[in-house]
Amino acid sequence: MHFAPVASSCYGFAVNGKRVLLCLRIPDYPLAVALAGTSSGGDAPLLIADRFDRGRVIALDERARKHGARAGQTVTQAAAAAPTARVAVHDPVRSRAVWNEVLDLLDGVTPLIDDVREGVAFLDMRGIDGTPERWRNQIHTLVQHLDLPVLTGAGPNRFCAYAASWIADGTIIAPGEEVKRLTPLPLDVLDLDPRAQERLHLLGVATLGELARLPHGPFVRRFGREAAVWHEWARGIDRTPFIPRSHAVTIEASMYGEGSAESEEAVVFAIRVLLSRICSDLERCGRRASALELEVELDNGRTQTMEILLAAATANDRDMLDVVRAKLEGVTFDAPLCGLRLRALRLEEGGEMLALVRNDDIDPQNVAVVLARLEALLGEPVRRARTRAAHPSEERFSYEPFTLGKLKTTYSPLVVDDRHDDRSVVPQMRLLDVVEVDVTVTRGEPAAINGERIVQCAGPWRIEEGWFGPAISRDEYDVVLEDGSVRRIYRQGSRWYVRGTYD
Amino acid sequence: MLPAAALSAPRNERFEALKQRFGVGRPAVVPTLDRALPTGIDELDAALGGGLPLGSIVTFEGRGTAGRWGIAASVLAQVTQRGLGAVIDDGHLYPPSLEEAGVRLDRLLVVPATTPVRIARAVDVLLRSRVARVVIMGATLLRAAVWTRLATLAHRAGVVLIVIATRAAVELSSVAGLRLDCAFERAFLRGTRGVWASFCGFALRAEVRKHKIAQRGGACISLRSHLHATASP
Repeated sequence: MHFAPVASSCYGFAVNGKRVLLCLRIPDYPLAVALAGTSSGGDAPLLIADRFDRGRVIALDERARKHGARAGQTVTQAAAAAPTARVAVHDPVRSRAVWNEVLDLLDGVTPLIDDVREGVAFLDMRGIDGTPERWRNQIHTLVQHLDLPVLTGAGPNRFCAYAASWIADGTIIAPGEEVKRLTPLPLDVLDLDPRAQERLHLLGVATLGELARLPHGPFVRRFGREAAVWHEWARGIDRTPFIPRSHAVTIEASMYGEGSAESEEAVVFAIRVLLSRICSDLERCGRRASALELEVELDNGRTQTMEILLAAATANDRDMLDVVRAKLEGVTFDAPLCGLRLRALRLEEGGEMLALVRNDDIDPQNVAVVLARLEALLGEPVRRARTRAAHPSEERFSYEPFTLGKLKTTYSPLVVDDRHDDRSVVPQMRLLDVVEVDVTVTRGEPAAINGERIVQCAGPWRIEEGWFGPAISRDEYDVVLEDGSVRRIYRQGSRWYVRGTYD
Repeated sequence: MLPAAALSAPRNERFEALKQRFGVGRPAVVPTLDRALPTGIDELDAALGGGLPLGSIVTFEGRGTAGRWGIAASVLAQVTQRGLGAVIDDGHLYPPSLEEAGVRLDRLLVVPATTPVRIARAVDVLLRSRVARVVIMGATLLRAAVWTRLATLAHRAGVVLIVIATRAAVELSSVAGLRLDCAFERAFLRGTRGVWASFCGFALRAEVRKHKIAQRGGACISLRSHLHATASP
């Protein structure tokens, strides 16, 4: 990895009172993580692939690049270009863990960190004591033990800080200097997709300065809406908001070693106590929980864990208790309870959601209790249907557990569903258990099903699927029988089946 | 020997006179209901005095393709615009058709229950909670006491319980507030025939067999179903 010498800092702009953003960048992050801790990459070129089987190269070192390998190639293509190269598979879990460690270390510099992606973070240094040079040294000292090639840059906005890290480690772009400092930089700084970059090269645009000189209107018309952002960046303007990362918070409460409980009242009382503790913690953190995890320790040494969906995020202990009680209605324990642990899951920011104007008559709390009660009763959750594009009827929909999170409860008087304003009955297909039937065919069309005459017939519609999975190849028909029933039947091979009926 | 028509003529006249005297055959006058759930089908709403009576058990009866689920889907489409609806699913539900009828699937509780006991319990929970303004279930074998209990719960909660049946059993028909008899008349095919044709709807006839508010049934309407887009690929 190439480390540029520390650029001469230009501290000409006032730090106090103005936003100073620091960019921390680790070039070729997957490669840096793979090489971290090893004294060197060895003599062989190194390729990092996204997966072992049929993978693509996501990062590569300079030696592999010299051999002609490129990111985006398949491993086979890259290995053909660099036959002596070693191939390492990217480990996303380790990569994320290392990056989280970096972010945690950066908390020692400033509490406001914008986690853009693995390898790039911005630090808001407004109000932090020190100079950019000192902050840079502090960052390098903090992450030194991770053995990562860290580059920093400072600027008045995100893009300038990011671009400064491209010029050299420790570069500062002062307000008013943006255009001058960005002009010589290559287009690679913009992270454009290769096709757009190639088009720009064909137009003779290779640097940010050349891009900034292009007329805004025609450039945006030719390259699309995102080109407006590139044009602003090239002129040192970045309107992207700084979004500080949130810190992981664990809220839980437990009760052990206070005897055992056999009666329902005792268990409910214990849960009520735990819930009040959890809710006070939630309020203190300004959070709401969308789910709870209840771990029950029994006298016989067993433990039982259940996840309780609250459907609507809340920090109200009475609402939570209703749902927990409903959930426990269908549960039996084979021994007295001697321990309870309750944890708040899926925490959300903010207080209770209250709509000023409501158009719905849905009470989320009531629905949450009913969902828990029905799940306890039926042994499986209440479902919500989703439709999807597919040819076979049975694959056109799927079910998922019903949650209130996806329910749109916002009052929107302007949105009127006028798709179904003709007020007629829409025939409903009912899926039947697929049964084989005896169909008489006359002149290529089904004429009778199990001896019952078909009076009208529409079809066939050919359905062929299954390039990789089990093959489906069938002809579907809608038929009207003599008794007035309308059926969906299909022929697969030489056999006939009934799929559904209209009602 | 006299022809049979001549023999039966006086009897028919007397029978018609009796029918006129007691008002049989005249469509029942249905008062406008204060608490009605519109079905979304104007002709049906007019015949029912504004819609389905809230807080009662309603049966849609008919054999085979009778448009019972089509009417139920229309009711669901109305309900899910503002609140939640619930369907007890015995495994035959086809959500794409419901969506085509205008039902908001994100507001439809699909409750998987197949055995009579589970169905009764699930409906009990749904009615008590009042989360859904309409609950739809297929006919199942339940004791009269259970139907009475469900009817009471529906009445207290102001929820419409729609039961789809081929023919309502005595236990069910006695507690039902409204019984609608649906019958298939003819199917409509778009296009000529074969691969050029597609099923696009059917004509059906709906007759009010029983209406507790109107005291008796008799209102009879013809409806025409229409498939917005063919269900076939």
